Amino acid sequence: MTAAPTTPRATTASPPDAVAARVRGLRKTFGSTVAIDDVDLDVPAGAVLGMLGPNGSGKTTLIRMLLGLTRPTAGTVELLGHAGDDLPAALPDVGALVEGPGFHPFLSGRDNLLRAAAAEPRLDGDLRAPVDAALERVGLTDAARRRYRGYSLGMKQRLGLAAALLVPRRLVVLDEPTNGLDPAGTRDVRRVVAELRDAGATVLLSSHLLAEVEAVCSHVAVLQTGTLLVAGELAALLDADAGGLVVSTPDAYDAILALRAAGAPSYRAEGGVAVPPGPLEAPEIVATLVGAGVAVWEVHRRRAHLEELFARLTEEDA
Amino acid sequence: MTALETRTPTRTPTRTTAPLGRLAAAEVRWVLRRPRTLVLLGLLALVAVALGIGIALTGGPGGDGDGDGPGLVAQVAGNGLVLPIAALGLALTLLLPLTVATASADAIAGEAAHGTLRGLLLAPVGRARLVVMKAAGVVTVAVLAVLVVAVVGVLTGLVVVGGPGGTMVTLSGTTLGLGEALGRVALVAGWTVVQLLAVAAVALAVSAFTEHPLVVLAAVLGGLIVFGVLAAIPSLEWLQPLLLTSGWGAGTDALRDPLPLGDLASSSLRALVYVVLGSVVTVVRMRRRDG
Repeated sequence: MTAAPTTPRATTASPPDAVAARVRGLRKTFGSTVAIDDVDLDVPAGAVLGMLGPNGSGKTTLIRMLLGLTRPTAGTVELLGHAGDDLPAALPDVGALVEGPGFHPFLSGRDNLLRAAAAEPRLDGDLRAPVDAALERVGLTDAARRRYRGYSLGMKQRLGLAAALLVPRRLVVLDEPTNGLDPAGTRDVRRVVAELRDAGATVLLSSHLLAEVEAVCSHVAVLQTGTLLVAGELAALLDADAGGLVVSTPDAYDAILALRAAGAPSYRAEGGVAVPPGPLEAPEIVATLVGAGVAVWEVHRRRAHLEELFARLTEEDA
Repeated sequence: MTALETRTPTRTPTRTTAPLGRLAAAEVRWVLRRPRTLVLLGLLALVAVALGIGIALTGGPGGDGDGDGPGLVAQVAGNGLVLPIAALGLALTLLLPLTVATASADAIAGEAAHGTLRGLLLAPVGRARLVVMKAAGVVTVAVLAVLVVAVVGVLTGLVVVGGPGGTMVTLSGTTLGLGEALGRVALVAGWTVVQLLAVAAVALAVSAFTEHPLVVLAAVLGGLIVFGVLAAIPSLEWLQPLLLTSGWGAGTDALRDPLPLGDLASSSLRALVYVVLGSVVTVVRMRRRDG
């Protein structure tokens, strides 16, 4: 992981507009089934947005409309500043792994990628170099010349990821990228997402694995039965859900007294005191405690887990 | 597994779609690496060789009455340069349409079934361009298939069947020199390619509507059989000018002297109408198709 931010991509990839993708009033019906119902969503440039939702909640349909693969019944899509009939003009800068990897079984992984590379507008001249680089990036160099037919599920998934990374991208869309991957593969996906983020790219990642989203995403959007329940910065959503501070101190009694004097109620918690959200901000609380001579070992924000947030959101609705 | 790629940044093209030549070349390479394409081309070569060997062994037609009938096949005996024309006529009844229908089925429906059509649309390859790219692959197969039958037919004709000093005796009883005989073979080959393009255009149009390659094969081969049945019903004679297959006997005209061009021209014109209709339907459908 060397020198990632110093590549020229980091500078060229920062988009002029603050939003990498935007949908407004998006709706999709299949016959009488409503797959997506009036969704408004912004994907901020540079964000790693995790799209969460149970199976059948409309994640893939939303992604397919975002990429122009499916026509919306109503609503608009804007991708990297391109909208409407102009949408495909954004696609050279978009890498996508949608609905699982799609390749030809009679070709090797490398030949499949060479074929995909031939269709990439941003590539010129010798296609082998970018193909080999993408294969190495996903750890498939050793299996590159084997037929795709013989690939394991995880190797197929890695090849799909490689195809999305053939060209430096401004936006990478990954639909369930860790499907079928072993723990090492999951780690590799996390690493790739982190590299993309460091290089200034925006990542949209759909998943039903909450831990995965919590580990890599800066933003989340939660879908249920075609409706967007919530969208925003992950940290802010979790803070709003829990909030408060946890102070590790051996002088819990003194701490509670000092805080009460300053107008902030608190109570004894394991290893110290817990301060629920109140009139005082974190720096004032720390200053109050230190001023009162309380030994403060650690102060951290009490964060809820995404799992609690997700369960509360989806159960509320159901 | 290193970190970010270390490739030195070269000039990055700002175009929004890959050059058409590169797309077509990639498509042709893909088509020619498909095992089934190679198997079908091999089978076509076998048709010409088997026909030649059969005639050389029996000294005449086996009396099976297939294809263009014993009349034409009987002409091949001791008249090797007629072999490629007879072989093309035989192959046009089933194996050649099957070959281009297979290529067309794989071109769009097969790509959709493998999930690779999505990749092409996302690259992005423009939808009209995609049709051109796919057509390039199918046309390549059609031309190669006809070339295989014609070239193997000429070689088998000259080597196995032999002929009166490298000349061709026409159905009219005259004798053509080697050069003119080869010209006649080339004429039939070109005409056969045009007929196959009509099949390919219709097959691509069907392919644009489905993600099941078998549907395309069934539609095309079933359609040819239905055309054959319709053509055999006397009260439906008025349909004849509309049926692609009703002109498929015209290839034999190349063996007459002087050369009658009427049927060859009218059947080619009919084929071109099919090509135009098929192409329009394919493009219109692909512009709306979900990827």
